Amino acid sequence: MISVEKLSITYKRQSARERGSVKALREVSLSVEKGQIAALAGESGSGKSSLLMAIPGLLPPGTEVTGRILLDGTDLLTLSEEELNRLRWRKIALIPQGAMNSFTPVLTVGRHVEEVLSVHLGLTGRAAAERIDSLFTLAGLEGTLAGRYPHELSGGQKQRAAIALALACDPDYLLCDEPTTALDVITQKGVMDTLKRLAEEKGLGLLLVSHDLPLAASVASRIFILKDGLLVEEGTPRDLITNPQSVHTAALVNALLELEEES
Amino acid sequence: MSALLKRWSFWSLLALVFIAIFGNRFFAAPPEAEVAASFSKPLWLDRSLPPTREITLTPEEPSVTLEWAYPPPAAFSLRTDLPESAAGLSVVWRRPDGSELTLAPLKKGLEVDGRDMAFKRALGLTPFGDAAGALFPGSGRYEVSVKGEGPWKGSVKIRLEGGRWGLLGTDQRGRDIAALFVAGVRVSLLVGIFATLIATFLGTSVGLLAGYAGGWTDSLLMRLVDLLLSIPLLPVLMALAAFWGKGLWQLILILSVFSWMGTARTIRALTLTLRDVPYIEGLRGLGAPSGYILRRHLLPETLPVLLATMTLGVPGAILSEAGLSFLGLSDPRVISWGRMLHEAQSFGAFTSGAWWMLLPPGLGIAFLCLIFLDLGKFLEERADPRLLSGGKP
Amino acid sequence: MLAAVLVLNFLLFRMMPGDPVASIIDPNFSPEAKAALSRMYGLDKSLPVQFLLYVKSTLTFDFGISFLTGRPVLDELRSRLPNTVFLLGTSLLISSFLGTWLGMAAALRRGSLLEKGVLWSGAVSFSFPSFFVQLLLLMAFASALPLFPLRGTLSVPPPPGGWALAGDYLWHMALPVFSLSLLGFGGWALYVRNLMVKILGEDFILLARARGLPRKNIVWRHAFRTLLPPLLTIFLLSLPGIVSGAVITETVFSLHGVGRFLLEAVTGHDYPAAGASFFLLALLTIGANLLSDLLYGITDPRVRLDRGGRG
Repeated sequence: MISVEKLSITYKRQSARERGSVKALREVSLSVEKGQIAALAGESGSGKSSLLMAIPGLLPPGTEVTGRILLDGTDLLTLSEEELNRLRWRKIALIPQGAMNSFTPVLTVGRHVEEVLSVHLGLTGRAAAERIDSLFTLAGLEGTLAGRYPHELSGGQKQRAAIALALACDPDYLLCDEPTTALDVITQKGVMDTLKRLAEEKGLGLLLVSHDLPLAASVASRIFILKDGLLVEEGTPRDLITNPQSVHTAALVNALLELEEES
Repeated sequence: MSALLKRWSFWSLLALVFIAIFGNRFFAAPPEAEVAASFSKPLWLDRSLPPTREITLTPEEPSVTLEWAYPPPAAFSLRTDLPESAAGLSVVWRRPDGSELTLAPLKKGLEVDGRDMAFKRALGLTPFGDAAGALFPGSGRYEVSVKGEGPWKGSVKIRLEGGRWGLLGTDQRGRDIAALFVAGVRVSLLVGIFATLIATFLGTSVGLLAGYAGGWTDSLLMRLVDLLLSIPLLPVLMALAAFWGKGLWQLILILSVFSWMGTARTIRALTLTLRDVPYIEGLRGLGAPSGYILRRHLLPETLPVLLATMTLGVPGAILSEAGLSFLGLSDPRVISWGRMLHEAQSFGAFTSGAWWMLLPPGLGIAFLCLIFLDLGKFLEERADPRLLSGGKP
Repeated sequence: MLAAVLVLNFLLFRMMPGDPVASIIDPNFSPEAKAALSRMYGLDKSLPVQFLLYVKSTLTFDFGISFLTGRPVLDELRSRLPNTVFLLGTSLLISSFLGTWLGMAAALRRGSLLEKGVLWSGAVSFSFPSFFVQLLLLMAFASALPLFPLRGTLSVPPPPGGWALAGDYLWHMALPVFSLSLLGFGGWALYVRNLMVKILGEDFILLARARGLPRKNIVWRHAFRTLLPPLLTIFLLSLPGIVSGAVITETVFSLHGVGRFLLEAVTGHDYPAAGASFFLLALLTIGANLLSDLLYGITDPRVRLDRGGRG
């Protein structure tokens, strides 16, 4: 179980012109279990991406982080970079935002997978090639695409390749940062279905960050809503619609329902 | 604006401009004048060497004493500047031990050099004797005075050539390096600023034209830019400087003709990004003539970036001019820092160990370039960052 | 490209004001002798014909006879070219390797003393005239402390024997190569540092860290490989400047090279020699240009795909 306890994140700005700090997250607590899909929703700037990046320890140096992030009982915030490196990808993998250029442009996508296989599992040669092939199939891609460079893939293909890469070392938890933005509706659905299937079949714990509440509600069993760095809502999708705890959520849900009725 | 006032480079530039304009007024002689012995060291250096001294005797001040704690001077000379000869008067030299020597009578238009045979004989020396050595046998208080009966008018000048002179010493021809340095500021600033101005004008025109016109005009101009960028600049400049003329303005023109390419690229990239900005498109839709759009809208938009690239281009021009002058391809009558280094190398600064000939011009060039680099960086930071990233390859 | 260099070369060295023949002959020569000389250099023909003759002779490396030395220009160049190539090649290698290494180290240790040093050395190499630094080095290490020779490529007379000769050559080339490397390295390190800082801020580096990859993988496989293509572009753009540096360096150290030959030819109005040396230097640039173009294709997959048809 990943459990975040009273996490606060403060960014320090130290550019030539401005000096100051921005509080991105204030005492947020939430948890994800294996085999469960949890969704983290909120407007952009609500702190959801910061929370996601804080889990594998990827916030920029100098950022002030307080609270605890427990992975099966170990506080990740107390670990050194080497200790974190042993957990990263083997326990917690990440699927980045579709809009990010998440692949190194001068390496083939297959090479990316091969690298994590050899670093974390010691797999090389034929064994690695076979695993890459099965991973690509699992993510819904042709195995031949492994020899392609990132710029030669479409947005959807790249996103699936990112899924294949994330699954390479059989992680326990997957952190997905808006895995479907920048994709068209049909591809979006395909990618979401794949993720859902994986959670069910492999018992993965999925933390899905999205600004798209209906999409999140359609796959998640638990939803957390952030606003301005504060956790304003927590519950099942059903709770949210029938019994919203905050004005903000109520307004959000109402807007959605109106949209539904119109269409 | 107030941020500019906090930059060291701004004040340094101001100071250098001031020196370039008024600097030569601080020197009694023009920079070409030979003021002291060749390769004289700066005054503050090697204090055991005698400094170069000039002593003037007048009827009001007929006697001068000097404290001497050095070896004898390199040369000695005496010149009278009298309306008429004065009989019965002579210039007398008194040594620390009290002994006196008569140097010369007070005759009109007399010029005596320590190497003259007659002078040596008058001092009781052999033709191979050392007059300066005889005059300065050791350290102590010396006195030189006009002695005798009768009135006189005018002045007597005595010059002792030492091994030290002025703030920065002298070069191989005995010119004052401080005066040369000040004269060099002017050339470097002039070349740097004007060559860059002309190059910027050319580059902006080409860049605006290429970016705005597009099509084959664009590709043709850009091919030209690529071509000129891949040709070694210095050999071309050398050939042009050697065959077409070495004058300062020719040099400026040659430099600018071969350094507009970077600006053209930047401005073209900017124009391309700006061309499709909605309001420019709107203007075109309204039927505004291209020239008008270019002049009234694109040019002002690109101005901050232009200013930055221009300032950053100055060091290149200064270094190119210095390089050409150093290679001896500049007008020998124009004093510039590059020329000073050229002469330092060709006229034996090494064999005489005259490092003070190297440092002022070299550090001057470097300092001036650093000033413009810093100012350019400052302007670059101020310019619209969106435009800057568009302008970089 | 080559054509453009040919045209420029012709314009520069053939269409100069003044009579080129006038510079080599005694004013007391008879008009007949002058005409004969003109004929020998092909100066009696019309300009287009001269141009064609010139193109033909240049492309066959027949550069004619030097006005000044009276020897074939080709022979003169042949004895000098290896020195120039050695000087430029070695210093380029040293400065680019050292510069890349230090630039990367500076980018990886932001705010460190090393980074400040790299930033400063960059500013220095953009503002200090090369000949000034070289003159200082000469004064310090050849004149005041006579560790290195003041001038020349080899001692006179050269020492006998292969190894002694090679040692003597290296001893003479040490300061020139060192100074050129020193001057090139600052700018190089600054470029690398700036590029590297930008790359390290990219998403794919953050994600490589998320994958728990060891630091050396991230630095070398992900960051450095991405750095290579733009580095080659800079290399390409800096080539003309480096060739220009050869003229100055060879002049300061009195080396037996193409650059100094060009200077002597230019100041002595030796048109065949000047034209030929310029052509050779331009050819050197073009050659290196093509080479780095080729390397670019190898290091950057995006380019490789675009140029599939060509190579």
